[in-house]
Formats: sequence, structure tokens, C-alpha cells
Amino acid sequence: MSIEYYMSKIRPLITRFFQQELRNSNALFSLGLYLLGITYLIYLLGGNNAADSTWNTLLWVVVFFGTVSQASRSFDFESGDYFFYFQTLIGPGPTIIAKLVFNATYMSVLSFLTWGLFSVFYGNTVFSPLLFAAGLLLGCIGFSVVLTLTNGIAQRTNGNATLSTVLAIPLLFPILKLTSALNVQAMVGVPFIDVLDLLGALAALDIAIGLLAYLLFPYLWQD
Amino acid sequence: MLYSLVYGLLTSIPDLPILEQSIRNLFYHVSMWFAMVAMMGGSFGYAISFLSKEDLHKDHRSVALAQTGMLFATLGLTTGMIWAKYTWGAWWTNDPKLNGSAVTMLIYLAYFVLRNAMNDGRKRARISAVYNIFAFIMMIVFIGILPRMTDSLHPGNGGNPGFNSYDLDNRLRLVFYPAVIGWILVGTWIASLRYRLRKLES
Repeated sequence: MSIEYYMSKIRPLITRFFQQELRNSNALFSLGLYLLGITYLIYLLGGNNAADSTWNTLLWVVVFFGTVSQASRSFDFESGDYFFYFQTLIGPGPTIIAKLVFNATYMSVLSFLTWGLFSVFYGNTVFSPLLFAAGLLLGCIGFSVVLTLTNGIAQRTNGNATLSTVLAIPLLFPILKLTSALNVQAMVGVPFIDVLDLLGALAALDIAIGLLAYLLFPYLWQD
Repeated sequence: MLYSLVYGLLTSIPDLPILEQSIRNLFYHVSMWFAMVAMMGGSFGYAISFLSKEDLHKDHRSVALAQTGMLFATLGLTTGMIWAKYTWGAWWTNDPKLNGSAVTMLIYLAYFVLRNAMNDGRKRARISAVYNIFAFIMMIVFIGILPRMTDSLHPGNGGNPGFNSYDLDNRLRLVFYPAVIGWILVGTWIASLRYRLRKLES
């Protein structure tokens, strides 16, 4: 199968996912309200006095729960007729890629929104924003891979919602550990050369697990 | 195996500050982790071969090895915690290797939870094999790559003396390597018993 063929299947899928999400305003608003509410809650509890590392930890905790709850709806469409439709017309390969791209974009928007909210309420103390953004972006890509795969798994066990969280949390630790280390460095303002190995490790991890998810996903689809 | 258990207590040891007699725990604690990684590796291998051949026996072997690996992880953690209490002064420290082992145990507990959530044999085998493969890669990243990038209280990291420099002399090695091999063999034996038990049950 050629790349063009793949792209022709993936692009409409991604637009479809976004349309679906925008139409589902209930979920969108509840996620926004969660972000706003939790950021303000932390503010009330004294988060505005937080030191750099605590600021970063709080940011990642908010992003973590936001992405987990967002991703838990990943494969809602996969029930009944829709599943049959996807299975026969599109196949597992394009579906997982489209889903990964969609989730990664969604989560990046979510995490940048959180960063914005944190800046408004607690002040932005990030020394090198570009590096910080790179950390957020790479972290979100990794998150989307793990969460998409675990949600696919949970969906196949007849939609057990808590199961996907249980499966995902330990797998997210390595990514979380790397990204938060990178982001702390970005806040302090370490020279770019010094974080190159962290950045490289994170990118390599993202690529590796992305490939792995792509290879493993078809096995989830057989009945 | 017996040799390493008995001889580990009797053999002469090099003089080390702080560690002193507790270096004998090397034979037990470190070899537990070697055995665990070997068991998990076997489980990973059988998960791959299940996906390619769809043979349920492979799935049984994979689970049996994962369960045995979990047993070694528990033993390794317990011996490690006792050792840490007497040398570092705390049961638990924020150390990359400790975090790695905790995450590994969480991952495999999640694996068992996943298995319990399904009843249909073939589908369960396939889905848990997918999780097993993904989890093993993540585990290797967490226990194999991350600790090398950060400081650790364990030997060989962040300015601490390396594993092979002066703390592991030939007398220790004489017991340590047979201990590793012995524990891996014991693990294989336990796993094969569990495998046969599962086969009988099904």
C-alpha cells in the first residue's frame, strides 16, 4: 500500500474525529470547566506561591488527568455498527494513525491551554519557552500513544472505563518522568546542549512506542 | 542454587565501609532482579510467539512466567528494602531504580487485572499479549535507560562506584554468578510447574 493511499484514508478520518468532537459540545465544555476549576482550586490552595519544581508538578498533574479523561472517550465509536464500518472500510492501520494524530493534537491544545491558565494565575516563570513547549509537545505525543492503545484494549474488554486508567498509569510514568525533568530544565534555563540527550531520549521513546502501537493495534481488532 | 544460598553466608568478603557484612545480600537481592528480568523477558517472548502462532499453550507459558517474575520482584523488593534500611537508613528512597521496580510491579499487576477482566480464552490471550509486549518495552526503558541518565544511590550511577570496580571482587563473583544462574533455573522450574497446572485446569 502506498503512502498516498494511506493519506487519502487518514485525512478524512482526522477531520471526522474533530467534527465529532466539536459537535459533542458537552464533553468539550466539561473538559474546559475541569481545567479552569482545577487551576483555580490550586490557586485558592496557595499554588501561586509554588516554587518552580512544584509549579511544574502541578501543571503535569492537571495535564495528566485532563488527558486521561479525554482519552477515555477515544473508542466510544467502536461499538456496534460503527466498529463494523471501521473494520471493513478503513482497517486498523489508518484508524490507529488517525486516532493518534487526533489525540496528540487534542492533548497538545489541552496542555498549552493549561500552561496559559497557569501563566495567568500563577505567573509564567519559564526561562526558555521554546524548550518548555517542546517538552509539552513530546510529552503529549507519548501520552496519546499510550492512552490510545490502552483505551483500545479497555474497549475490547467490553468498555470497562476504569480499566483503561489502571492500564495506562504505570505506562505513563516513564514519559512523565522524562518530560517533567525536561520542563524543569527549561524553567531554570539550562543551555540547549545540556538537555539534548533528554530531548533525544524522549523523541526516540515517542517514535518507538508509536511504531509499537501501530504494529500491535491490528491484533486488537481481530475477533 | 543450594551452593549459592549456603556459600553466600559462609564465604569471605572484601572489606567495605558501611556495607560490611551486608554485602552478602548481593547474592540474594541482585540475583532476584536478574531472575525477574529473565522471567519477564520469557513472558514477552511467549507473548510475541502467541501473536504469530495463535497457540494457547504459548499464552499459558507467558502468564506462568509473568507470575513467577512477579514473585521474584516481590522478593527482590523485600530484600532490597531491608538492605536499604541498614545501609542508606530508610526503607524507601526516591531513587530511579526503586521507582523503576515499583512501576514494573504496577505494570504487571495491571496485566493481571486485565486478564481477570475477560473470560473468553482466545480473545483474552490476544489482548493481554498486546499489553504484555507494550508493557515490557516500557519496563525496559524505565529500568534500563532512565536510571543511566539520572543520579542514583545504587552502585554504578551518578559518581557512585561502578559495579565491577572494587566492590565485586573475585570471591564475590564466585558466588554471585552461580546464584544468578541458579535463581533463573529455579524460576524456570516454578514457571513450568505453573504452566502445567494451568494446562490441567483448562
